[in-house]
Amino acid sequence: MILITPLLIMFLGACVVLVFRDSRVATRVALFIGGLEVASLAVIVWQVHEHGALRAGRYLRADALSSFFLINIAFISGLVLVYASSYLLHAGQRRFHSPRWFYALVFLFLFTMISVCLSANLGLMWIMMEGTTLASALLVGFYNTKGAVEAGWKYLMVCTVGIAFALFGTIVLYLAAVKAGMNPAAALDWASLMEAVPRIGLDPHLVKLAFVFVIVGYGTKIGFVPMHSWLPDAHAEAPTPVSALLSAVLLNCAMYAVIRYDAIVSHAAGAAFPHTLLLIFGVLSMVVAGLLILVQRNLKRMMAYSSVEHMGIIAIGLGLGGPLGLFGALLHIFNHSVGKSLLFFCAGNIRENLGTLRMDSISGMARTLPRTSIALVVGSLAIVGLPPFSLFVSEFAILSEAFSQARYTVAVLFLVVLSVVFGGFAYYLLHMLCGDASSKAPATGKIHASEYGVMGVAGACLLYFGVRIPHIFTVVVQDAMAVLR
Amino acid sequence: MGLVEVATGRILDSFSVFLFLTILLMAVSRRVSTSVLLFSVQSAIIAGEAFATGFRERLVEAYVIGVLIVVIKVIAIPRAFFGLVGHLKTSSDVKASTTPTQSVFIAAAMIYLSYVAVQSYGQSVHVSEDALAAPIALILTGAFLMVSRKKALMQMLGLMVLENGIFLAALTTTFGMPLVIEIGVFFDLLMGLLLMGVFAFRIRDTFDHLDVSKLRRLRG
Amino acid sequence: MKIALNILQAILIILGAPLVRGIVARCKAFLQRRQGASIWRPYYDLAKLFRKEDLVPPTASAVFRVVPFILFATTICAVAFVPLLQPAALLASHGDFFLFVYLLAIGRFFLSLGAFDGGSAFGGMGASREALISCLAEAPFLLSFVAIAILASHADIAGMVSWTLQQNFFNVSAVHILAFTSLGMVVIAETGRMPVDNPTTHLELTMIHEAMILEYSGTRLALIEWASAIKLHAMLALLAALFFPWGMASGASVGFVALSLPLYCAKIGLLIILLAVIESGMAKLRMYLVPDFLGVASAVSVLAVIFTFLAKR
Repeated sequence: MILITPLLIMFLGACVVLVFRDSRVATRVALFIGGLEVASLAVIVWQVHEHGALRAGRYLRADALSSFFLINIAFISGLVLVYASSYLLHAGQRRFHSPRWFYALVFLFLFTMISVCLSANLGLMWIMMEGTTLASALLVGFYNTKGAVEAGWKYLMVCTVGIAFALFGTIVLYLAAVKAGMNPAAALDWASLMEAVPRIGLDPHLVKLAFVFVIVGYGTKIGFVPMHSWLPDAHAEAPTPVSALLSAVLLNCAMYAVIRYDAIVSHAAGAAFPHTLLLIFGVLSMVVAGLLILVQRNLKRMMAYSSVEHMGIIAIGLGLGGPLGLFGALLHIFNHSVGKSLLFFCAGNIRENLGTLRMDSISGMARTLPRTSIALVVGSLAIVGLPPFSLFVSEFAILSEAFSQARYTVAVLFLVVLSVVFGGFAYYLLHMLCGDASSKAPATGKIHASEYGVMGVAGACLLYFGVRIPHIFTVVVQDAMAVLR
Repeated sequence: MGLVEVATGRILDSFSVFLFLTILLMAVSRRVSTSVLLFSVQSAIIAGEAFATGFRERLVEAYVIGVLIVVIKVIAIPRAFFGLVGHLKTSSDVKASTTPTQSVFIAAAMIYLSYVAVQSYGQSVHVSEDALAAPIALILTGAFLMVSRKKALMQMLGLMVLENGIFLAALTTTFGMPLVIEIGVFFDLLMGLLLMGVFAFRIRDTFDHLDVSKLRRLRG
Repeated sequence: MKIALNILQAILIILGAPLVRGIVARCKAFLQRRQGASIWRPYYDLAKLFRKEDLVPPTASAVFRVVPFILFATTICAVAFVPLLQPAALLASHGDFFLFVYLLAIGRFFLSLGAFDGGSAFGGMGASREALISCLAEAPFLLSFVAIAILASHADIAGMVSWTLQQNFFNVSAVHILAFTSLGMVVIAETGRMPVDNPTTHLELTMIHEAMILEYSGTRLALIEWASAIKLHAMLALLAALFFPWGMASGASVGFVALSLPLYCAKIGLLIILLAVIESGMAKLRMYLVPDFLGVASAVSVLAVIFTFLAKR
C-alpha cells in the first residue's frame, strides 16, 4: 500500500545505487530515487488529508501528525539531495572514492527516519530510532579523519546508551498498560493506547517513571542538555549534507517520538508532570547552548549549538502547551529545519572555497563569496529570530503563550538568550564578512547553480513563511494538533 | 514434577543472586577475556531465567527468546569479542581507572542502591525484590563499566551489560515484550555491535591506540 | 552416642587430613597432565618425618621448641568445633565462631614467632608476609560468619549448621552465596594455596608459609605439616557444613551415620576438585596484589552482611 511505498523506495534505492560505480550515473540515479521518494511522501500526505488516518497492517500508521513530519522530511531531504549531488562531485574527489556508498547510507538513514514517523507501534518506533543511530554513524565518520572517527564513536556510544534508557521507558509503559488490563499485543500500539487510556486507569507512578526515562533517552537524540555532548562533534565533523540531515531531520524525528509519548502520558497521568519536564529540559538546553555559542571557533559547531538551542525552544513550546504554544512548537520544527539547512549549505560552500571553517581565520567573505555571504546573512538573521523570517512567527507564538500563562521567568530567559545569540552571531558574522579578504586559500572551485538554487529555495521559503503561512500548511498543523488532543 | 515446579518458581529470585556475583566479579576483572567470559555466564543465567519463565507461564515466546539469547549473547557475541581482541592486536588489559578494591566496593554500593530504588515498586508489580533489583544493578554496572574502563572494547562490553539489564527487566516484569519487538531489539543490538567493531578498527588505525580517554580533540 | 559421634568427627578430620592433601595434589597433577604422587604419600611423609632427627638452631630459644606443639594443640582444639556428620560438635557448647577464628589465629601467631626465633632471614620475611595476609583475611573471615550468624540467630557453628539444615534448598539465599565466595577466598589465603601462596615452591623468595618452617625438622616439622593439613581439612569441612549441610545425620543411629559419611566424602571431594581447578587455573598473585584479592573478599563479605537486612529472608 502507499504507506509501504516510500520505505520500499528508500530500501531498494539504497541497494540499487550501490550497483553503479560511475559517480555521475550514481548521482543521477540517486536524484531520481530521491524524486520518487518525495513524490510518494506527498501522496501519503495528500491521502491523509483527504481520508484521515491510514493504517497498513499492525505496525504502520499515518495520521496528521506523521504527515506533518513527513512534509518536513520530504522537503529537507529533497533540498539536501540536490545540494549533495553537486557538492560531492566537486568536493568529494579529494576525500572519498565514490559517492555511491554515501547515497546508499543516506537512503538507509532516510528509510529509518521515515519508518519512525510511520510506525504505529512504540516498539517499532524504538527499533527504527536505534536504526537511525546505526545508519548515520558511518555517515558521521565518513571522512575517516581523526576528528571524524572520534565524533562518530562518541555519537554511537552516547546515542546507543540514551536509546537503551528509552527502551527501558518503553518497557515500563508496556508494563503499566498490561497491568491495567490491556491486551499485550495492543499495549504498544499508539492509537490503541490513546483510545484506551481515558477508559482504563494506568498506574500514574509507573507512567511518570516511563516518561522520565523516555525523555532522557530520546532527549539524548534530540540534543537536550546535559545529554547533548555528541551533537556539536557529530554535526561539525560530518560532511555538510549529512550535517543538514542530522540537524534538520533527525532531531525532529526524535522530537516526534517525545511528542507521541507526551500525548499518552498527559492523558494517563495529567499534563503537569510531562510538561514540567519538557520545560525544564527546554530552558536548560536553550540557556546553556545559547551561552556556549559565544565561545565557539568553528562555524559548524556554532550552528550545532544553535540547533540545541532551537530544540530547547521547541521543547518550551511543547511544555507550555495551549493552542499557541503547540502551534508555535510545530511550526518552529519546520521553520528551524529550513533555516538550519540553509546555514549548513552556506557552511559547505565556505568549506569548499576557503578551505577552513574557523571563523577567526575567515574575513572579507563579502568580497570573495558574495552570493554565499548573502545566503549566510539571510540564514543567520532567520535563525536568531528576526522578522520578516518565519522563525520570528513561531518564536513569537511561543513567547505570547508564555506571557499569557504568566510564566514570566521562562519568557524573560527566552528573550535574554535570544538577544545573546543575536549578539554572538552578529559578532562572528561581521568578522567573517567585513574587512580585507583573508590571504589564506583564495576562492577555489566553483559553486554550481544547483547549490545556489537550493539555497535560494530555502531562503525564499523562510521569507514566504515569515510573511504569510500558506493556508494548507496551517490546516496541516492544526490537524496534527487535533491528533494529540 | 513437584520439585521442578518448586525449582522454577524460585529460579527468578535465586538466579538474581548469581547475577550479583557476576557483577562483583566483573568489577574486579583485569582482563578483557575474563570480563567477556563473565558476560556470557550472565547471559546464560538470563537465558535460564527465560526458559524457566516459559515453563512456568506456558509461553512459547519465552522459549524462543531464551534460545535467541543463548545463540546470540552466550555464543556469538563473546566469540566476536575474542575475535576483535585478536584482530586488533591490543593488550588484554582492561585499563581500569579504579583499583579492583575500589571497583568492588562501588559495585557493592550499586547493588545496595538498586535494592533501595526498587523498594517502592515491589508491591505494585508483584515481583520479589531480588528479581527487580538484579536488572537495575546490571544497568548500573553497565554504566559504571562504560565510565571507568578506558578501553574502547570495554565500553562496548559495558553497553552489552546495560542492555542485558534492560532486557532482564522486561523479562521479569512482563515476561517479555511481543516477539517481533524482541527480535527487532536483538537485531539492533547485533548491528550496533558490528558498527562499534568497525569503529574500533578505525580508532586503532587513525589513533594507533584504543584508549578512549585520549580521544579529547573535540572539546567545548 | 552423640559424644561418641562427635569424637569420631574430630578423629576423622585429624586422621583424614593428609589424605585430603594427597587427593588435592593428585587432582592438580591430573589437571596439569602429570602422573602425580600417590594419594597416600603425605602419610608416608609424616611417618618418615616422625622417625627423623629433630635439629634446633643454636640461636633459638624455648619459643622455637614449643611452637609446633602449640600450633598442633590449637588446631586440634579448633577442629573440635566443626560439625561433620551431624549438626553438633565436641566443643560446640563451649564457644562460638569467634573462638574458632581466634584459635586458628593463636596458632598462626606462634608460628610467626617461631619463624622469627629461628634466626634466618627467610623466616622473618615469611612471617611478615603471613602477618599481612592474616591481618587482611581476618575481616572477611569474621564477617562471613557474622552474616550467617545474623540469619541463623545462633553464634555457635553447630547452631548455624542446624539452622541451615532446616532451609529450603531451592531458596537460594544471597547472603549464603556471598558468604561462600568470601569464605572460599579466605580459605585460599589462610591455608596458603594458589593464587595466594604456592605450597610446592622451592624458591624461598616466593614462599610465605614454607619460609616460616624452613628451620624445623623431624618431629616438630611433622607436627607443623600435619597441623596445616588439618587446618585445610577443617576449613573445607566447615565450608561443606555451613553451606551444604543437607544429608547430615539428624539422629544418632548407625544407619544415619552410614548414610552421611559417603555424602560427606562426596561433598569434600567436590570441594577438593574445585580447589584443584582454581589452583591450576590461576597464576600466583604477586605480593602487592594479594591485598586486592583480600579486599575483594572483604567487600563481598560486607555485602553479605548488608544483605542480611535487605533480603528479608
